[in-house]
Amino acid sequence: MASLKRLETEFPILDPDFQSFCALRGIFTVQDFLIRDLQSLVADAEQQPSSERFMQAINQVLYVIDGLHQPWLNGVDLMEDAQKNKHVLSTGCEGMDFLLRGGLRRGQVTELAGPSSSGKTQFCLLTASTVAYKYMGGVIYIDTGNSFSAKRIARFLNQISCPASEEMQPRVLQEVMNSILCHPVYDIFSMFDVLHCLESKLKYQICRGDNDERLIIIDSISSLITPILGSSGSQGRALMVSAMSLLKKLAHEYNLVVLVTNHTVGGDGGIPKPALGVSWKTLPHVRLLLSRDCGSNTYQVSLLKHPSIASGKAAKFIIND
Amino acid sequence: MEVGRLPISAALKGKLVSAGYTSLSLLSSLSPSHLARDLNISENEALDILKHAPHDGRIDTSSGHHIISGAQTAWDMLHEEELLTRITTSSVEIDNILGGGISCREVTEIGGVPGIGKTQLGIQLAVNVQLPVHCGGLGGKAIYIDTEGSFMVERVLQIAEACWDDMLANNAISQNVHAGQVGMQPKDFLENILYFRVCSYTEQIALINYLDKFISEHRDVKIVVVDSITFHFRQDFEDMALRTRLLSGMALKLMKLAKKFCLAVVLLNQVTTKYAEGSFQLTLALGDSWSHACTNRIILYWNGNERYAYIDKSPSLRSASAPYAVTARGIRNNVSNCKRIKLM
Repeated sequence: MASLKRLETEFPILDPDFQSFCALRGIFTVQDFLIRDLQSLVADAEQQPSSERFMQAINQVLYVIDGLHQPWLNGVDLMEDAQKNKHVLSTGCEGMDFLLRGGLRRGQVTELAGPSSSGKTQFCLLTASTVAYKYMGGVIYIDTGNSFSAKRIARFLNQISCPASEEMQPRVLQEVMNSILCHPVYDIFSMFDVLHCLESKLKYQICRGDNDERLIIIDSISSLITPILGSSGSQGRALMVSAMSLLKKLAHEYNLVVLVTNHTVGGDGGIPKPALGVSWKTLPHVRLLLSRDCGSNTYQVSLLKHPSIASGKAAKFIIND
Repeated sequence: MEVGRLPISAALKGKLVSAGYTSLSLLSSLSPSHLARDLNISENEALDILKHAPHDGRIDTSSGHHIISGAQTAWDMLHEEELLTRITTSSVEIDNILGGGISCREVTEIGGVPGIGKTQLGIQLAVNVQLPVHCGGLGGKAIYIDTEGSFMVERVLQIAEACWDDMLANNAISQNVHAGQVGMQPKDFLENILYFRVCSYTEQIALINYLDKFISEHRDVKIVVVDSITFHFRQDFEDMALRTRLLSGMALKLMKLAKKFCLAVVLLNQVTTKYAEGSFQLTLALGDSWSHACTNRIILYWNGNERYAYIDKSPSLRSASAPYAVTARGIRNNVSNCKRIKLM
């Protein structure tokens, strides 16, 4: 939404005369223009000496506004896009892939919630390794808790590539590990910064036709949001929603899988429930709740929300040491 | 609105919005003077806004990888992780389950019931970090933040003397170095522990905010021990939501310190009871949200007459437990013979 002054360079019809006419009525931007009663504005303009020019200018602004929306797509287009671009990516653990009918879908934001030590980070590291190895895709790992362990990634990669306890070739290992990028991030504004940079990088790559990014992981998004949420203002909530809408946009436009982790708080009767409150609930496409039996390496996951699978389903999986 | 994502004051945000700058792309190719004129603000303020706006200059295209600055590839991190030295706990068995000791660049939380030896372990780590590099230490200094008033300097001297003794003994065997050549005296250990006493939670937050500046002036600090993180947050707190916010903000700052200066942060925590599955269980204090705040979590507990350490949470280590003992010389391996004598 640009100011009228900025539009002048492109559309000379929006000259200073018209701008001062609008400014008198409290209109400085295209957005102000939208929320005004257009009919009264037109009636006003007709009474001015240069009414014809003003009418032209108003039509020009309306034309600019019309051009702002996205083009329409029909079902066939959407289906084509889904089949061509929105594949599922395997997570590397069978139980989870089975539950999600193949894995994490590109273009969607998946939330993984669970108590402390329930395997969230382990699952993120495993998924990062699998995507980097199997699909040769780039992985962006946004780490808020210094819990990204390259050693663990190397161990997972060795497990995935050759189960017979043979070591992976160092050259292959290097190539795969070079495609996993870790960003340490300690506040929500630096996360926005990283995501904006990523967006312009992706745009640049699309132009050159070599988009190979597949996965964004944020472990954990809740530790960035908790310090700002729930204070007297609504600022924190606005940032949370803004973060999610940016992630959804990136996921959709660049066909990325986005995986974020959330912690849990005690709900009714001490049963853990995902944190971040009610307004968060509607934001992710897929919501998963993890738990682990104390001391074992068997993890349980249940589906809280999914666009195409019945919620409430559960599965078990094992993550090897 | 996209400008909401900028870390600037609400007043400036309001000015941006009313001047029509609602999306960030409008800010990307703007001169500060232009923005200052449009918003009717000073040029310095305009410059500040533009500094936070996203621009393409931060992507490093020289290496062909298009790495956004501040990021590291897993391969580079693997090599750095291999070079990291760990801080020994002086108990070989605990070191074994920890993969060599307390890791730098991570925040480790250690909790347990009163009298289990949390403060002892904290002091031991503050001493051990000073061991010279050729003795397997880091040759660094320690910051000790005392919230409970349980830091006993006589005890520190005792542990430091024992540590010095061991160092001499090891040196004599391996390198035939004489006592005089070590160049470090037990008193030196005391000098290299930088002690802060904290008497309220506001002081604690203020100190942790100040640490960034302090450590950038004292780069040889390699460990920060907070004994305990909990004390002031367990009393006089009515607004639990505020507590959660303050604690999670503090945890992020400590994470940042650990990463930025490549040092170990050790937080000592108390225990509380939690009602779960029909019974009361012992768990570390400060609640569920806090349990996510640390990279590693070690729980100290009694098993009969023996003290044990258990890794409750770690991204790279498997859960395991190991016995240890608190002796006059500090934290040491549990010698089972002693125990049997004691039992008889």
